[in-house]
Amino acid sequence: MVQHGIKNDNEFDVIIIGGGITGAGTARDCALRGLKVLLVERNDIATGATGRNHGLLHSGARYAVTDQESARECIEENMILRKIARHCVEETDGFFITLPEDDLDYQAKFVQSCNSAGIKAEIIDPKEAIRLEPSVNPSITGAVRVPDGSVDPFRLTSANITDAKLHGAKVMVYTELISFIKEGDTVRGVKVHNRITGEDMEFYAPVTVNAGGIWGHAIAEKAGTTINMFPAKGALLIFGHRVNNIVLNRCRKPANADILVPGDTVCVIGTTSSRVPFDEVDDMKVTPDEVDLLLTEGAKLAPALASTRILRAYAGVRPLVSADNDPSGRNISRGIVLLDHETRDGIKGFISITGGKLMTYRLMAEWAADAVCKKLGTDKKCQTMDIPLPGSKSEGVEEISRKIWAHPTASQKATAGRHGDLTVRVPSEDELDTSLVCECEEVSVGEVKYAINELDVHNLVDLRRRTRVGMGTCQGELCACRAAGLLARARNCAEGERNDLKRFLNERWKGIYPVGWGDALRESEYSQWVYSGVCGLEK
Amino acid sequence: MKFDTIIIGGGLSGLVCGLRLQRAGRKCAIVSAGQSAMHFSSGYFDFLDRTPDGKDVSAPLDAVDLLDKEHPYSKIGKARLTAYAEEVKEFFKGCGIMLEGDPCRNGFRITPTGNFKRTWLALDDFSVFETDTCPWNKVLIVNIEGFLDFNTAFIAQSLESKGTVCTTSILRLEEMERIRKNPSEMRAVNIARVLERREVEDKAVGLMKDMAGDADAILLPAVFGLKEAGARTRIEKALGKKVSFVATMPPSVAGIRTQMKLKAGFEAAGGVFLQGDTACGAEMDGSHVTGIGSVNFGDIRLEADSYVLATGSFFSKGLTAAPGHIVENVFGLDTDAPSERKKWYCTDFFGRQDYISYGVKTDSSFRCIKGGGTIDNLYAAGSILGGCNALYEGCGAGTAIFSAFSVADTILSENA
Repeated sequence: MVQHGIKNDNEFDVIIIGGGITGAGTARDCALRGLKVLLVERNDIATGATGRNHGLLHSGARYAVTDQESARECIEENMILRKIARHCVEETDGFFITLPEDDLDYQAKFVQSCNSAGIKAEIIDPKEAIRLEPSVNPSITGAVRVPDGSVDPFRLTSANITDAKLHGAKVMVYTELISFIKEGDTVRGVKVHNRITGEDMEFYAPVTVNAGGIWGHAIAEKAGTTINMFPAKGALLIFGHRVNNIVLNRCRKPANADILVPGDTVCVIGTTSSRVPFDEVDDMKVTPDEVDLLLTEGAKLAPALASTRILRAYAGVRPLVSADNDPSGRNISRGIVLLDHETRDGIKGFISITGGKLMTYRLMAEWAADAVCKKLGTDKKCQTMDIPLPGSKSEGVEEISRKIWAHPTASQKATAGRHGDLTVRVPSEDELDTSLVCECEEVSVGEVKYAINELDVHNLVDLRRRTRVGMGTCQGELCACRAAGLLARARNCAEGERNDLKRFLNERWKGIYPVGWGDALRESEYSQWVYSGVCGLEK
Repeated sequence: MKFDTIIIGGGLSGLVCGLRLQRAGRKCAIVSAGQSAMHFSSGYFDFLDRTPDGKDVSAPLDAVDLLDKEHPYSKIGKARLTAYAEEVKEFFKGCGIMLEGDPCRNGFRITPTGNFKRTWLALDDFSVFETDTCPWNKVLIVNIEGFLDFNTAFIAQSLESKGTVCTTSILRLEEMERIRKNPSEMRAVNIARVLERREVEDKAVGLMKDMAGDADAILLPAVFGLKEAGARTRIEKALGKKVSFVATMPPSVAGIRTQMKLKAGFEAAGGVFLQGDTACGAEMDGSHVTGIGSVNFGDIRLEADSYVLATGSFFSKGLTAAPGHIVENVFGLDTDAPSERKKWYCTDFFGRQDYISYGVKTDSSFRCIKGGGTIDNLYAAGSILGGCNALYEGCGAGTAIFSAFSVADTILSENA
């Protein structure tokens, strides 16, 4: 795999900074092309905007009227992800509905734009739409069916990381960039700090890729250049059950809170859009006004939302690259931005891949990997549009489950749904491994062990991203403590794990208190009695 | 149906109030929706662990003067509170519940995560420690194989950090096989049911004999004694070593047992316990409650001279929060919650959560208030009361028991 006279363990063909979906996808793409890859991520994988969006498998219809290029990219990637990431994708379809307050004339323009972008858009009778999706607002005056779907971003990122590693990539999470190692105007490598071991290390490669999302702004500054980024906060709400089975969108110019996406056992309404200062992007909080807006607008798509329990609120920051001084950020293209800093700024060996969205991560990765190869002088071709991700290599959940267990239980099928064909690696030999840690999401002891041993899990929040522990209706009430026990045993560090448990509960609470009323507050009162009261944990 | 007093809520407060009234000859009914906060009990009663501004309390009665006038303890008053505290052990003993500890002083307990936390009195089989350190030099901490709601590593680490030598061990019992087969059955109450069989307990004790070595004491998860306490004494006798139970994550075996004992005591005294029923459709005549309905009784009214609201807070559904207000569910009583919901929470999970302090407004005798006016025959007791933060101050059980005593005594004195 050594390509360019690499001799030492700390030398690579390419260093990728950022473990979001773009970085993970780029690492996989480069690794599949035979490059020796290092990926460094200062937190866990999928902690930024990757894990803080709708989880919508865009058909591209949303952008059809305003941005044909993005729309075309979306539909092409949509079709590719259905093939290569089937265990991360749910093919639900989507409706673009017109409400009495919306202009029905927009529909014709919308359908025409979709068709010209290559998106199948079919006008259906509102009555038929209500029959197909009973949760939709019954007062709709129009509906268009498009190939939207949902995608699990955590699973998708994890699968890309797994495959990159299978192809020789070194992935270092909790490893933060301190500085670039530069020689004159050339980036030779990176100096990083491991936040777990406290160790500082140096790595070298002829090319370094900045895939830091909104944090790419600061990464570029460390390299001595500026990317004019536009941090656009988007807030979302997760509801406690799956109200709709078909994605619901408003058939109008994109606006606030006009997409409702079903995913697993829940559904998600979003988003808002507001500019935030860079010093806030590490700690996004959802305000009461945002919650109220999401609820009011969401109930217009599906009236049942008004009386459905909200699980939590969260917000992400879109890594948009600003072209003009648009205060809302809505009119900036969601397009992909690839910057070669050699031609742009005279900095050799350094590129940035940004803009774009979850939906087009693979294409972004392809562009970035192409640019890397060009710099390395190789002509290895991209294969990611054809080779399925680990977990998606065989048929559906039923087949996978039956290959492993004669009579798979519901919880075993849930595991298979999360890990696809990698489920064979989940220990399930005896009753201790099959006993449940998380009853809401049916996560077994074996699955937790698998995640700890093989999926780079360092704490409870990481574990949640790999297994959904604590994502269900109870938001980690008892499973957090059970999983903490398993982590404490695996890492042989009870004190660290007790602190980890506190951080996990605080992280859950951060998403709950903005929607803290009704059953969400009831459940929280219980959790707080258990952990502050019975367990006596303190700040 | 006609009673002297109807109590809505069958948790600690409702049962204590009903028992006190029934023992004094009042004919009482308790309408109980089911589970209560007792189901996630720590195995201990707390009186007052810290003041509302965060000062640790060693002698709860001495700290009563520091409390706001709306605090339930201030309404009861120090003199009566002192008498109640002295009476509390005897009261529970009447139902076969033995409380350990000094009613005038706080001690400490070991929590499921290994912390030492202030507490007041221990339920049967638990013990109160005098200081926040373990009184033994060498401790064996035992868990049941496959039981995830008890974590020996946390407890061992915490005790070791304070100088106690700890070993941990696992009890493998084939009798647990059946519940282990079902992935969600290995929970405290199910384990307690298996251990309820004396031969299984004896077997566990036999295994512990081999593990104990030179340990001075053994810490066990509180999964013994769903119906009757006493396992601790038996195990201590058999092993010749000190044994202490540590609470598990919910459900709480000791809490459930205590609730069942209180209920049995109430019924033995002649009280009527309406299990699995929910009060609704209160009828008022001016500032006087004339009757309530219930889900199970439908059209049949439940009537009484006086009523006690002991429905608990949010978790127990005494209160419900909506985005901009907090309501009391049976009578629509006045609550002390601000409408701006930002004020309800501390952004730190472990900080003082003000929403927990909200409850119904009452006069100095715990008579409830609706629309600004006092209702003359409706009283509130327990965590439905406003004026104190039971979690932050560590005054949940104390508030439940003493406000119930106080309300019962008011009702008795008015009908004397």
